[in-house]
Amino acid sequence: MLTIALSKGRLADQAIELLEKAGYDCTAAKEKSRKLILEDPKTGLRFILAKPADVPTYVEYGAADLGVVGKDTLLEEGRQLYEVLDLGFGRCRMCVAGPKELKDGALDRIPNKRVGTKYPNITRAYFEGVKKESVEIIKLNGSVELAPLIGLSEVIVDIVESGRTLFENGLDVIETIADISARVVVNRVSMNMKSDEIRPMIEKLREQVEIMNAQKEA
Amino acid sequence: MGNNKYYTPDGFNDTLPGICAFKKDAESKLRRLFSLHGYSEIETPGIEYCDIYTKPSFVKEEELYKMVDQKGRLICARYDGTIPAARFAATLYKDEPLPLRLSYIENMYRFNQSGGGKQSGFTQAGVELMGAAGSDSDAEVIALAIRSALEIGVEDLQISIGQTKFFEGLARQYGLDGESSDKLRTAIAAKDSVMIERTAKEAGLGEDEATMLRMLSEGAGNDMLDEFDSKITDDTARDALLNIREILNVLDEYGYSKYVTVDLGIVSSEGYYTGMIFKGFTYEVGFPIISGGRYDNTVGVFGREMSCVGFSLGLSLAITALGRQERIPEYKGPDVIIGYEGAIPGTRAAALALAEKFRTEGSTVILDSSHMSEEELDEYAASRQIAATFYINMAEEGEE
Repeated sequence: MLTIALSKGRLADQAIELLEKAGYDCTAAKEKSRKLILEDPKTGLRFILAKPADVPTYVEYGAADLGVVGKDTLLEEGRQLYEVLDLGFGRCRMCVAGPKELKDGALDRIPNKRVGTKYPNITRAYFEGVKKESVEIIKLNGSVELAPLIGLSEVIVDIVESGRTLFENGLDVIETIADISARVVVNRVSMNMKSDEIRPMIEKLREQVEIMNAQKEA
Repeated sequence: MGNNKYYTPDGFNDTLPGICAFKKDAESKLRRLFSLHGYSEIETPGIEYCDIYTKPSFVKEEELYKMVDQKGRLICARYDGTIPAARFAATLYKDEPLPLRLSYIENMYRFNQSGGGKQSGFTQAGVELMGAAGSDSDAEVIALAIRSALEIGVEDLQISIGQTKFFEGLARQYGLDGESSDKLRTAIAAKDSVMIERTAKEAGLGEDEATMLRMLSEGAGNDMLDEFDSKITDDTARDALLNIREILNVLDEYGYSKYVTVDLGIVSSEGYYTGMIFKGFTYEVGFPIISGGRYDNTVGVFGREMSCVGFSLGLSLAITALGRQERIPEYKGPDVIIGYEGAIPGTRAAALALAEKFRTEGSTVILDSSHMSEEELDEYAASRQIAATFYINMAEEGEE
């Protein structure tokens, strides 16, 4: 029996689609219900639907053997996991964003910046580790773009997909911190104790991802 | 109750009767096993100067439970068994002939960065073989780790063996600089193929080299050794592979091959390993229950150079796993309870004699000193799962 933790929402749907293409019957996971655990004894797969930020936790503690989650969540949570596969979907960038005027080095001239973000750990690691400065981090839980508009912070750190929300609010990407996409993560013990089930699954998923990427390029 | 903290601090638990009995029994078994293999148990104080952990940065400062002593110096709760043993071997035991064989069964205290659920206080049992180099010593310690796990009832056991020198040699063969080799090591440890590929490309490595590095992270299994053998030119890496092969051969002689696989991609969170490194896994817990390896440069930091190898078994974690695998016997009360009618002279002496008789035979006996009546005694026995009750209400030996 393999337990797979999925990030509730679009990422879960895409992951299920990919698993089906790879030959795994996911009828149980597609069941329209409010159940949080979807199990199919026939296929030996059990799905749990969790909040994205919790997926790495379930996997690190071994409550789930593997999980599908965005790289943004992985960076933020910093869990000890095997990160075995880039699924190629859910693509976006983790960025420092703010008023256009701060582009091209102007940001660096502001001392003691305030940064609004849903990702305090990524923000701290980036400013302290890469830019070698300490900043005041203001933890927000949504609509982060508001913060620089209303004077709560100078800049924000957030994921940017198309950048439309930013542009429409007079903001822009100032610096890119990391490229983000959906990843398959595996518990370190499960990788060893259940390798007969997990390794073939990763291989089959990898094949599908390669096919998908090839189609995209064509 | 207000703000009074009448509960255990975050990350710490009481050990209840039953589990505690099982744990103490496991500790006795391990103590005997270590002793049978010539390892002498030591106790370290449980409080150390932070310097022994942080000065050569064996452990991150944030992970230590810190306090100050009377002179304002930073001290910390014991984080692991290895570093205090290394300090001990290099100072108090600096003139002892080598090799030394030391063991410990003690509580460790760590701030767990992940937080919530993972314990901050836990018991580890382990050994250190100090002043012994070579594959045979490596194998001795791995074999003892396997035997320890089996001894306490962990039957589903899997040991992964790696070698930190292998990557070091490979990095040299590929001409990697410090930064890209650090990045790659981290990526390999996380089995992060995306990062491996990107870093390999940035470092100017070709397709073949990138494939090798990916294999290193993904591959487990003994046949990988041949594959690598043919592609290695660096002596350090070659020696590392030879070391693994020799260890496997010795473990085969022990009859332990079925527990062991090679995983050259394992990298430890402890920074002091310098050669063979291994982890032990079982079902139902998400973390390794055994961790060990060779550390040749650690004791030297404290003033006496010696090659060492050791392991620790996370006893608390192993017991959690055994519990979930339903291998821990259910809690059982004492075998017998004996009560007596206090008003009648002579009954106490008779009860005492009976209790002693049972105890001599090895039964666990409560001699009731709270003057329960016969009915109360029966009720109490039923609620505490005590198998037999005796109530003495006449001077001669009588039972019910």
